[in-house]
Formats: sequence, structure tokens, C-alpha cells
Amino acid sequence: MIELTHVTKSYNRGKIKAVDDLTLTVKPGEIFGFLGPNGAGKTTTIKLIVGLLRPDSGRIAVEGYDVAKEPLKAKQVTTYVPDFPAIYERLTGLEYLNFIGDVYGVPKAERLERIGKWLEIFELAPVVTNPIQSYSHGMKQKIVLAAALLPAPRVMVLDEPLVGLDPRAAHQLKEMFREHCDAGKTLFFSTHIMEVAEKLCDRIGIIHKGRLVACGTMEELKAIDRTEAGQSLEEIFLELTEK
Amino acid sequence: MSASSAGAGAGGGVGARPSRVKTVLTVIRAGLRSNFGLATLKHRLLKEKKDRWLVPLVGVAAIGVVPMFYGIVLLIENVYLVLKPMGQERALLSFGILAGQLLILLFGVYYVIAAFYFARDLEFLIPLPLRPGEVMASKFAVIVINEYLTVAAIVLPVVVTVGVLARRGVGYWVNATLVYLTLPIIPLALVSLVVVAMMRFINVSRKKDALILVGSLALIGLSFALQIGLGRSAGGRGPEASAQAVAAFFTSPDSLLNKVGAIFPPGIWATKAIAGGFSGEGLANLALLLGVSVVLFAGMVVAAEKLFYRGVIGLGETTGKRRRLTRDEMSRRVSSGRRAFAAIFGREWKIMNRTPIFLLNGILVSVFVPAIFVLMATLNKGGRGGGSGGGGGGDPMALLGTLLSANPLVVILGAALFMTICGSVNGTASSTFSREGAQFWISRMIPVAPREQAAAKFLHSYLVAMLGVATASVVAAVFLHLRAAYLAPAVALSLVAGVLLAAVGMMIDLARPLLDWTNPQKAIKQNLNVLLALFADVGILTAVFFGVKALMRVKLATNVVLGVVFVGLGALAAVSYLAMLKFADKRYPEIE
Ligand SMILES: Nc1ncnc2c1ncn2[C@@H]1O[C@H](COP(=O)(O)OP(=O)(O)O)[C@@H](O)[C@H]1O
Ligand SMILES: [Mg+2]
Repeated sequence: MIELTHVTKSYNRGKIKAVDDLTLTVKPGEIFGFLGPNGAGKTTTIKLIVGLLRPDSGRIAVEGYDVAKEPLKAKQVTTYVPDFPAIYERLTGLEYLNFIGDVYGVPKAERLERIGKWLEIFELAPVVTNPIQSYSHGMKQKIVLAAALLPAPRVMVLDEPLVGLDPRAAHQLKEMFREHCDAGKTLFFSTHIMEVAEKLCDRIGIIHKGRLVACGTMEELKAIDRTEAGQSLEEIFLELTEK
Repeated sequence: MSASSAGAGAGGGVGARPSRVKTVLTVIRAGLRSNFGLATLKHRLLKEKKDRWLVPLVGVAAIGVVPMFYGIVLLIENVYLVLKPMGQERALLSFGILAGQLLILLFGVYYVIAAFYFARDLEFLIPLPLRPGEVMASKFAVIVINEYLTVAAIVLPVVVTVGVLARRGVGYWVNATLVYLTLPIIPLALVSLVVVAMMRFINVSRKKDALILVGSLALIGLSFALQIGLGRSAGGRGPEASAQAVAAFFTSPDSLLNKVGAIFPPGIWATKAIAGGFSGEGLANLALLLGVSVVLFAGMVVAAEKLFYRGVIGLGETTGKRRRLTRDEMSRRVSSGRRAFAAIFGREWKIMNRTPIFLLNGILVSVFVPAIFVLMATLNKGGRGGGSGGGGGGDPMALLGTLLSANPLVVILGAALFMTICGSVNGTASSTFSREGAQFWISRMIPVAPREQAAAKFLHSYLVAMLGVATASVVAAVFLHLRAAYLAPAVALSLVAGVLLAAVGMMIDLARPLLDWTNPQKAIKQNLNVLLALFADVGILTAVFFGVKALMRVKLATNVVLGVVFVGLGALAAVSYLAMLKFADKRYPEIE
């Protein structure tokens, strides 16, 4: 569960309003797609949720924990996949996974099982003892994903997770999304690819210039504009983000 | 493009097209700007209005440097006055110049490797329509300008003091300026040639990082060895550590200077060029110096055409064997859950040790600084005829020991100061957050309290400091013949002082971490925080010094004074450590 209440965040001393009075709730068991053009404020919103940025005003809670007041409790139940996989280049993939397992306190048996599983799925098993430095961009992204999955968190927040993944890995990731949420957990991800949002998400929020311009299930979004039934998300998106 | 440029060879006119020259200049300018961080600093000072407090601080630091400089100038003046009647004042000039060049040689290895091979800007430079020689020349220019600053502290006082005292004319000053501007080129070009050749061969190997480290250490070791060798052949000297002795040391027929000169003649040319002014001798030597500089520089550019890119390209690749772990191996390698503290400590340790630049500037510095003292001791002992190393009166180190042993308190505090400095001059603590760079988000995300993370980092920095203290105490015991009764309290004091200095260094880095670097060099070597921490260390140690002086005036027993210092430092250490943890809790959420 993720709750944002009247959250505002600006950069450069208020000159750039990146997130403007955003109120949003993502329920447990839900895949929430956060859709918007470049510069809409997706990354900023995500960094606010995971506590990498502090809002100018408003309140953010994850699983009921106020991100500002109980940061450690919120962090314990959340993992985050950034848009750019900046991770310790000098560690090996396995050392990084071990590090994450240690700091989140994942017990050995689960750790072994999950690491084995995700390394196989992401085809990282043969390189896991090599330094991350030697990984391709996509491989780095996969090791970050594997690390984010390792603690089996109640909430996962991902910034454009499908960008740069090969089709196979992208497919696997989508399966994982479903699995994660079927277990009653929450998943929040941003994307600018509409098909992904349309196919995958239980609910979609469209952000434009820092404001949430629409939010709801696919059906609800289609009902906003009654001009034509069977409108695709792309058309809705273009319409809403026109101005 | 690499094929065509290799085909064009080195003869193909560097200055043929003006646009080309412009590109090279742009690269140099960009290099300088990023090297000195002026753009960032300007932005931080003027736009974001952060770091304003730096301005008065730099002023204070400058004022603090004045008395030190004055002391150096006085010393030079005294030596000059002794040498003058003997007609040997030139020896002083050569000494300053040679010391400057040796310094360049020593640090050059390091700058060159970092700039040529580890700077990330290579990724952008290589695709530019520039030839390898041009890229290298522009990087070389940046290092040369950098070295002007390093050398200024040594060469300028000598050259200026001698010039003023001798009331030299225009020729002296003009030549001195030209020599100063040329000075770094010869040693740096030599270093570059060796490094470029070395990297060309290292790059084909598998264990690159290890080899780079071994290679740089070997080069540094070589320059040390050179100095020791010179020291051994330097000839005997009188026991008095007076200006007379220094003068004798300069002028004896087979003195250190002449030996160095014999091996490294550019120093002699430079001296003659300056001292000779506009006379035939002066101009001839100036021409020689400039000519050799140009030739070596050109040689380096030619070598770069052939070797440089083959050393750079693919340097980041690791020829990792692709090998699947068996179930058993996997089970063994997946940790069964360390405490977060241990995990973070382990991460610090691994990243530090596996990043050559961090290792050189952190751990190795704390071993090197004491080692330099050993070197000085060896160097001077080597001069004693038999060289049996019994710690005779001619050994300035032993002399220092004898001198100090007059007052046990002074000996203990002096040794403690020495050990503290050896442990704390490295930038490990004051770059601990900066070193995380773009990966800092991980520390922000993990469910581990900032104070716990900071505590793990503290332990790491402190262990590095202890390494320095340990090396320094070996030096004190073996080379300064410090008795155990003096050594033990000195070690205890420096371990306590180490806590204080590490905590202060961490707080400085926490206040303004430098996270947006791409070249690891910037996180530690060119990190202003490391410098600020050094200032802070000097300030703290000076304050302690005056505190102790006041205590000594009260004429308390040695043990009482030591006890008071120990307890006082201990209290400061505890307070600063706790303050650092608290500061971490405050700062972590703020750093964006
Ligand atoms: N660190 C920053 N400093 C100043 N402005 C920023 C910063 N990060 C983002 N912005 C601005 O905030 C707005 C939203 O950016 P972002 O959240 O990254 O958008 P998105 O992820 O949707 O592409 C943009 O106008 C961007 O220019
Ligand atoms: Mg974004």
C-alpha cells in the first residue's frame, strides 16, 4: 500500500514544480502504472515514495509507515529499482546480492532459493562471480532487479524497468509483476510505453507537468472521454497531455 | 578512425588545421575546468550559495601558511648566507630545482596513470576527431599545469629568495620564469613514456587492476630506490645539524646534488640557466633545457600515436571467465546473513581495496608516509662511512632522538604526533561518503540506520589510520630507537587522537559529500573535503599543542600531564564520534 497525500516537490528553490499537489493511493495486490511523457515528474514522484527526495509539503506513507517519520520501517518493506543502474562496479554480482540480503536480513534458505531462481531467469548465473564492472547495461539492470526481488518486499517501486531489457527478460519481468501482486503485494512502476501499462496494470495514473491528470482502471480512463468507445490508452494519453 | 590515424603516423602536422588546434585547446580547457572543479565551485558559490563559508576559511588558512612560509624563507636565507662566502650559492638553487623535479617524478606516475587511463572523459575524448597524440597532449598539458602548483611550494621560495638576496638582474628572473614553466615537462614526459609503454602491455593481461597497482608501486619504489641509492653515495657529513652542515652537504665534491645531477642533468641545466642569466652559459643551458623538453614531448606524442589507445581501449573489460557455480559452491558463497554493520564494513573494505586510486590514496598513503621517514633515515645512515647503522651522531634521525630525549614528555608527545599524522594524512575518512558517488542511493535506500552505516565506515577509516599508526610506531622503534616505555603511551595517545581526527574528517565529508564524480580520482585525490580535513587536523593538533604547552608551564609531573592529555583527547574523541553519528542521521535524508 502506497499513499500520497497532497505531495508537492519543486527543484531550484521552487522554480521548477516537478510534482504538484499529488494525491494517490495504490492498494495491496495492485500493479499501478505511472504513465507520463518525459519530464512529467515520474522519477521525482518515485524518489519521493522511496525517500530519496523529501517533499516540500504533503505526506507519503508506505504500508502505513510515514516515509519521513519512520524511514527505516518504510525502507524495510520497500525496494526500489532506479532508472539508471548505478551499482558497485567493483563488487561481483553475487557479492552485491549478498550485501543486499545482509542489510535486509534475508535468511539463508530463502536467499539461496531466490538468488538461484532470479539468476536463472535473468541468465546471470554464468557471470555472477565476475565484477559488475564487466556487465552490460542490461545485465546491470537485471542484477538490480534481482537485488530488489531478493528481500521479497511488500512494496516494489520501479522506474522505467522495461527500458533496455531484451524481450525475453521483459516478458519474465512482467510475469514476475503478476506473481508479486497475486501474493497480495504492491507494485508501482513508471513507464512511457503505453502498451505495457495497458496490458499489465490494474490501475493507471497519468501524470503531466507534475499533476495527476487521470487515474483509474483502463475502463475508468476510457469513460472519462465519451467521444468514442474503444479508445486506446494512447489516444487518452495524447489527449490528456496535450496542453 | 583509429586505423586512419595510425596510418597517418606521427608526422602528419599537428597544427595543420586550425580547427584541430581549437579542438585540442577546448579539450585542455575542459580538462582544466573539470580538474580544478572551478565551474562547480563557482556554481556552488554564486548560484546555489552553498559553500560560502569556504571563502573566509581559505583566507584563514592562507594566513596560517604565512608563518610557515616565513620559516622556510628564513632557513633558505641562512643556508644561502653560509654558502655565499664559499661561492657555492648555486648549490641551493640546484637543490630546490632538483627537489621539485623529483617531486614531479614521484607524483607524476600517479597523475599520469590516473589522467591517461582512469579518467572517464576518455570515453568522450576517444570518439572525437582527434589523434591519440593530441588527446594525450591535451591531458599532458592539464597535468603540467597541475604540477606548477605542486612545485611552486618548493621551487619558488628557493629561486625567489636566492634571486632577491643576490640582487640578480633581469636575466635571472626571465630565465627563472622560463625554467619554471618548462620544469615539469621533462620528468613528466619521461614518466609518461614509461607509463604508456607499461599500460600497453598490462592491457593485454587478465589481472589488470592488480598489475596497474603493482606497476605504479614499482615505479614509485624505483624513484625511492633512486633516492636511497643517491643517498648512499652521497658521502659523509659532519654531525652538526647546522647551516654549516647543510652547506657542506651541498658542496662536497661527491655530494647528493652532484650525484643527482649526474643522473638527471636537466636539473643542472635548469640551475645554470637561472644562475647564468643572459650570459652565454645561461642562454646555452636554457636552450638545452627547452630543446630537450620539446624533443621529449614530441617523443611522447609519437609514442602515444602508437601505444596510447591500445593501452586504453578495453581497459575496463575484465576477461571474466563465464562459469556457472555448482549448487554446492553457490550454497557456500551465499552468505548466511551477516549483521548489516559487517556487510557495510565489508563493502567499504572491498571497494577501497579494489579501486586502485582509492587504495593508493588511502591505505598506501598511511604506509608510505612513515616509509618516507625510514627512507630519510636510511638515506642519511648510508652516508656514514662504514654504514653499519649503529645510530651514530651523524644520523639526523638519531640526533633528533637524542635531542628529544632530554625531556621524556616531549619525546612521547612528539612520537604521538608523528604517529597521529602518519595515520591521519590519508583521505580515507574525509572521502568516505564521497567515494560512494553515484551509488550513494543504495545507502539511502537500505533499511539500515545512517548512524549504523556511519559507524561501519568509521571502523574502516579508523583501521586504515591504525595501519599508519602501526607503521609509524615500527619506524619510531626501529629507526628512532624509541624505548618501549615511550612508545606505549605514544601509541595510546595517537589511537585516541585518531578517533577524533577520523570523526572530524567524516563530518566534513558528510557536510558536503562530492557524489557526482565520474573519475574516482575526484572522490579522493582532488576532493576538497580531504584538504579541508587536513586543515582541520592541523588546527586541532595545533590547539592540542598549545594546550599541552600551557600544561607544561604549570610544571606538573610527566605522568600527570600525559594523563590529562589522554583524558582530554579521549573526551574529545568520544564527543566527536557521537556527534558524527548524530550528524549522519541528520545528513543522510538531506543529501539528494
Ligand atoms: N535534480 C533536478 N534539478 C532540477 N530539476 C529537476 C531535477 N530532476 C528533475 N528535474 C525537473 O523536474 C521535472 C520532472 O522530472 P522527472 O521527475 O525526472 O520526470 P520524468 O521521470 O517523468 O521524465 C522536469 O522538468 C525536470 O527537468
Ligand atoms: Mg524519469
